[in-house]
Amino acid sequence: MSEMKEMRNENDGVISYELQEFKLFEPLFKWARKKSLWIVAFCTGCGGIEMPPLATARYDFERFGIMPNPAPRMGDLFLITGYVTPKTLKRIIITYEMMQDPKYILAHGSCPINGGVYWDSYNVVKQLDKYIPIDVAIAGCMPRAEAVMDGIMEIMRKIEDGTADGWKRYRENYEYYRKNQDELFGEGWREKDARRWLAWI
Amino acid sequence: MIDWKLVLEVIGILIYATFMGFIFMGIERKAMARIQRRVGPPIYQPIIDTLKLLGKKESVSHGFIYDFGPVFAMGASIAALLFIPIANFQLFSSNADLIVVAYLLEIPMLGIMLGAMSSGNPYSALGVQRGLLTMVAMQLPYGLALIALIQHWGTFKLSEIVALQQTQGWSILVPALFVAMIVFDIVFQAMLGLEPFDIVSAPAEISMGPMVEYGGKHAALLFTQHAIQLFAETAFFAVLFLGGASNLLELLIKQIAVLFIAIFVASIYPRFTIDQAAKFFWKWPTILGIIAVLLTV
Repeated sequence: MSEMKEMRNENDGVISYELQEFKLFEPLFKWARKKSLWIVAFCTGCGGIEMPPLATARYDFERFGIMPNPAPRMGDLFLITGYVTPKTLKRIIITYEMMQDPKYILAHGSCPINGGVYWDSYNVVKQLDKYIPIDVAIAGCMPRAEAVMDGIMEIMRKIEDGTADGWKRYRENYEYYRKNQDELFGEGWREKDARRWLAWI
Repeated sequence: MIDWKLVLEVIGILIYATFMGFIFMGIERKAMARIQRRVGPPIYQPIIDTLKLLGKKESVSHGFIYDFGPVFAMGASIAALLFIPIANFQLFSSNADLIVVAYLLEIPMLGIMLGAMSSGNPYSALGVQRGLLTMVAMQLPYGLALIALIQHWGTFKLSEIVALQQTQGWSILVPALFVAMIVFDIVFQAMLGLEPFDIVSAPAEISMGPMVEYGGKHAALLFTQHAIQLFAETAFFAVLFLGGASNLLELLIKQIAVLFIAIFVASIYPRFTIDQAAKFFWKWPTILGIIAVLLTV
């Protein structure tokens, strides 16, 4: 499966983002990535309230090496916890692009999948997968802590067999995602908003 | 001419210190978790974290100083480590190595701040401002504790302090130096960046402070630096107040004892704000430090 993907990369002329000199250590790094997922603590919507029971004594995700980390540059796992409005989506996209490359997205609940209870709202993004790549989505309204833990285990399994490739898809299909984002926000929103928020870059 | 024995000893001590430093960081996280009645991560978790950060496929840089900061910090940590008598190895020595080590242990914070400031992130700038104020505040009690120690033992050499403690009993058995130890322990909490004084990288408040822009390989370097720094600081404490050590196992037990005191204090107290921390440092530890100095005159 992975061989086929690399072949296609070479044929299309897209640069392969695997660093060649670390090929030998790749199984070790894969194991380390699986065992140490740092969460970007950016909780949108109602799923944020499911995080405290997950982090504290009852379910304790730190035993799998998961750690909430407020800095997006160090984060690996981005949790979209609930419905996403266009205003939040701008922040989500900027934060996602600030994270460094093997990065994964876990979407909670029905809202990021198809709008959920906000299916006819004028101001909710119905299908998040059109704007940023999602690795695992958990259905439900709102998924309980056990379900979230199950989703995280699914991400770990996907990292292990190399199918958690949202960051690769985002690089390869950047034009598609960029087109959808521009359709929603209008051309030039990066220059207008992101420049203002991230003036130091 | 190269002294091959010295080179080998340096490499050996560095590998040992890095590994044990990571294990200390693991112990810190595990003990915190157990105090909060959680299971906690495995004890080798910081090694996994560092490997993961090294395995990132992308690294953002903000220019030369940004790259130079962590290297500078790491160099200062390593230099401090080589001056400390670790069991029966003391690789470098001078007549005033206590002062050298005391100030080399402060430099890594400056290196991190140098790198953080050059990233231009406002959170980094806030963290740096807080870090510098903490450093200024803790210099006075830190200096007083060291002055009391030097006055009692009458020497600046760490190896002589260890030798004197082997014959005349540990420093903490002397009443004046026990007071100095309390002062040093309070300062130690701020040096490790642990809880009452973790204002520098206040995680939920200013989003990791100076470390906010670091990621990937830079962050891995900072993690390694922190491991070496942790080992060097605990060894420094053990050498000054707990009688040094004649072998690595004895040193390890003393280091872990020092570490556990820091962890227990950190897991009880909440965070000071920056003005409270500065006021605290200039009030109680300073008074205790002056008492310790007066007792040793």
